[in-house]
Amino acid sequence: MSDLDEFKATYFDECSELLLELEEQFMAIQDGDRDADRLNAVFRAIHSIKGGGGAFGFDALVRFAHSFETLLDYVRDGRVELTEEVVVLCIRSVDLVADFVNAARTGEVLPAEYGATEKASFDALARGEAAETGGDAPGATDDLDEEFDIDFTPVSVDLDTDTPLSAAAPSAGGATRWLIDFAPYPTLYERANDPLLLFRELALLGRTTVTAKLEALPDLAGFDPFGVYCSWSIELASDKASEDAIREVFEFVDGDCAIAVTRLEALVEDEPASGDDLPSFAELAEAAKAERKFVPTGEPDAEPAVRIAPAISLAASAPAPGAAAESAGAAPRDAEDGTGAGKVPGMQSIRVDLDKVDRVVNMVGELVITQSMLTQQMDDAIRDRYQELVRGIEVLAQTTRGLQDAVMAIRAQPVKSVFSRLPRLVRELAGKTGKKIRLETIGENTEIDKTVIEQLSDPLTHMVRNSADHGIETSEERLARGKPETGTIRLSAEQAGGNILIVVEDDGQGIDRDRVLDLARERGVVGPDQQLTDEQIDNLIFAPGFSTASEVSDISGRGVGMDVVLSNIKKIGGSVHVRSWTGKGTRMTLRLPLTLAVLDVMLVRVAGSPYVVPLSSIVETIQNSRADFGHMPSGGKVLQVRGEYVQVVDLARRFELGSEQDDADRFVVLCEAEGNSKIALVVDDIIGQQQVVIKSLEENFERIDGIAGGTILGDGNVALIVDVQSLKTSNAHQNAA
Amino acid sequence: MRILTVDDSRTILAMLHHTLTNAGFEVLQAENGQIGLDVLKNEEVDVVITDINMPVMDGIEFIRQVRATGKHQSLPILILTTETSQDKRDQGRAAGGTGWIVKPFDPEKLISVINKVVH
Repeated sequence: MSDLDEFKATYFDECSELLLELEEQFMAIQDGDRDADRLNAVFRAIHSIKGGGGAFGFDALVRFAHSFETLLDYVRDGRVELTEEVVVLCIRSVDLVADFVNAARTGEVLPAEYGATEKASFDALARGEAAETGGDAPGATDDLDEEFDIDFTPVSVDLDTDTPLSAAAPSAGGATRWLIDFAPYPTLYERANDPLLLFRELALLGRTTVTAKLEALPDLAGFDPFGVYCSWSIELASDKASEDAIREVFEFVDGDCAIAVTRLEALVEDEPASGDDLPSFAELAEAAKAERKFVPTGEPDAEPAVRIAPAISLAASAPAPGAAAESAGAAPRDAEDGTGAGKVPGMQSIRVDLDKVDRVVNMVGELVITQSMLTQQMDDAIRDRYQELVRGIEVLAQTTRGLQDAVMAIRAQPVKSVFSRLPRLVRELAGKTGKKIRLETIGENTEIDKTVIEQLSDPLTHMVRNSADHGIETSEERLARGKPETGTIRLSAEQAGGNILIVVEDDGQGIDRDRVLDLARERGVVGPDQQLTDEQIDNLIFAPGFSTASEVSDISGRGVGMDVVLSNIKKIGGSVHVRSWTGKGTRMTLRLPLTLAVLDVMLVRVAGSPYVVPLSSIVETIQNSRADFGHMPSGGKVLQVRGEYVQVVDLARRFELGSEQDDADRFVVLCEAEGNSKIALVVDDIIGQQQVVIKSLEENFERIDGIAGGTILGDGNVALIVDVQSLKTSNAHQNAA
Repeated sequence: MRILTVDDSRTILAMLHHTLTNAGFEVLQAENGQIGLDVLKNEEVDVVITDINMPVMDGIEFIRQVRATGKHQSLPILILTTETSQDKRDQGRAAGGTGWIVKPFDPEKLISVINKVVH
């Protein structure tokens, strides 16, 4: 990756954050919060996007952002009123900025007129107000463009400027002499500018002779150590300097000094200006000394003592003249060293590459395994004999757990980053459906593992869409039912034990169970005579390919929504549950693990080897002898449990480990797969429950159908993690074949 | 030579860092004026380059407070901004800014401006 690409990546990264922030701030602004901080924040965000965009030459983006920024600037200082109309324009324009950023990222070229209407509105708004205050309305647009151009004018000394602009051009090859009279004001020094540096800069243009003028130096008695008494006259001989180039040297001190630039006659002798001829600062100082007219009146020996004493007393009693003027301005003088330290907020953070964190997470995982291995090795004999060792290992276990929590906390992020995308979605949906919808969010600061957060965006989007599209009724329907006109979708996140609960709730019409059941029967998801509880019917909406919308809408899509929710959530070890109250609303609850790296599992034995089944997918375990098996005509086996027939998979046979006979001592593990479908796994023995650290099989070996990954147990053995979902799917295929 | 860069944009900080370290400067970074002040409390720097528009503490206030600190009265401070409206730049200078750099900057220009204000 080249440096430039890297900067671009940083820039686009930053843009995403800024766009998110803009979104948030404008939502608050739309809700009536016109806090100055918000207005400043949106201005800054657009300003930053423009600034970075300029660095990479994203001209279309910069042009648009510039107009937007100007408007926001006027809004924050009150020149343009922030009407509802302006807010709406701004919100729409944030989307356009996002499009511009996106186009810049992909290299796509947007049509020239893209965003032109909005840009014109910005300019018009900015111009309209300017007309009232400034009175130079006709030229305002041009001013903006001009200003914009100036943005990109480099500031530096142009060494290639040829001839002076003056009419009397020098003879060919002849150097021109300039006389510069330069008298600094106190402000020049207060801004940390230094005449010596200016002379050095000037010497780059040609050969300089600097003469210090010390006439203004007062007698010692009247000498103010902070006073400015010295001025200079500089003679510059140069064949390339123009008056502009000379004035540019003094650019930073413009207004902080009196300066006069006079052109003298051309030199008779051609003296080439070159860097080697520059006088050293020592020479300059010598020259200044030689020119010095001022001789202290006191005796030379006494001079130092006399000079120091008043200097100290003056410094203590009277502040620098400039500083006094400043304190009258704004900055309180007590904001110096000491008091500043007390106000420093304790938020210090560093940016760390996620890879590095993951490496730590993995190593802590290993540590957890090693620690549990050590603990397992300790039998009673060891405990009796090595009490100190045992105590040490107990402390190690505690510390390891603490370390694990601490490391996981590093990866944790507030769900806010996902939640904050949803207000916009709801706004769009409300616009498209013509419904009135309000989104409430609760617990946005709840923290979840970063990987879980990343996987959460799609499911949440689908769920909120579903609520907006199918749940919330139209305003008329709602009014007819005696409900408030505006429907509410409430999004909340909270931590509950080792899980995070995310709830999407709406006060809409609830799930139409009759229609869901009809459709499910029609599509063969449910048998014709099968009786389902209300809850089971509700959860049918997660079945693959299921859509209850009587018409396929372009919002919730073609029934690919809710089963995607389920599969994404299952992928990260979570579960979804829905409850509905007819006419009152629907509540969908996502239960997610706090972290992905550690999994709660049930350890089982199959053909002499250990396997683990994720605890979250297990419904119950049954002894074979008590299980009610049935046989299908195809030869497959089914388990009958509470009126439901569940496919049975003998893991030993499935993994071709030599099939063992059905045995009353074996166990059936009833698991739930996606879409509320179940599968019964037959295992030889159940060993117990524990936490394991997941290892990828693909990274370390290769993909095996029916296995989700591997783990290392406390005794150092490898156990494979059973992939309930893929077993269910492949079994269905086998049965179908 | 050490330079403190103060900007809330990661992109700008990264570009400054790259350009300045390539030119042999040592670079310190701060995300806003408040953090910049903290850095200056503990570190010696030769030049400060600061943005104007920043959260928490903007560049104007930052410059003002730096100048209010006795030991930094002769520290060159360059204002980094795309802001061409004269008032922002003037505000920065009134607060004690030494000079300015116009964004976007090209590396050579940046170095030449820095050379203008340091010994």
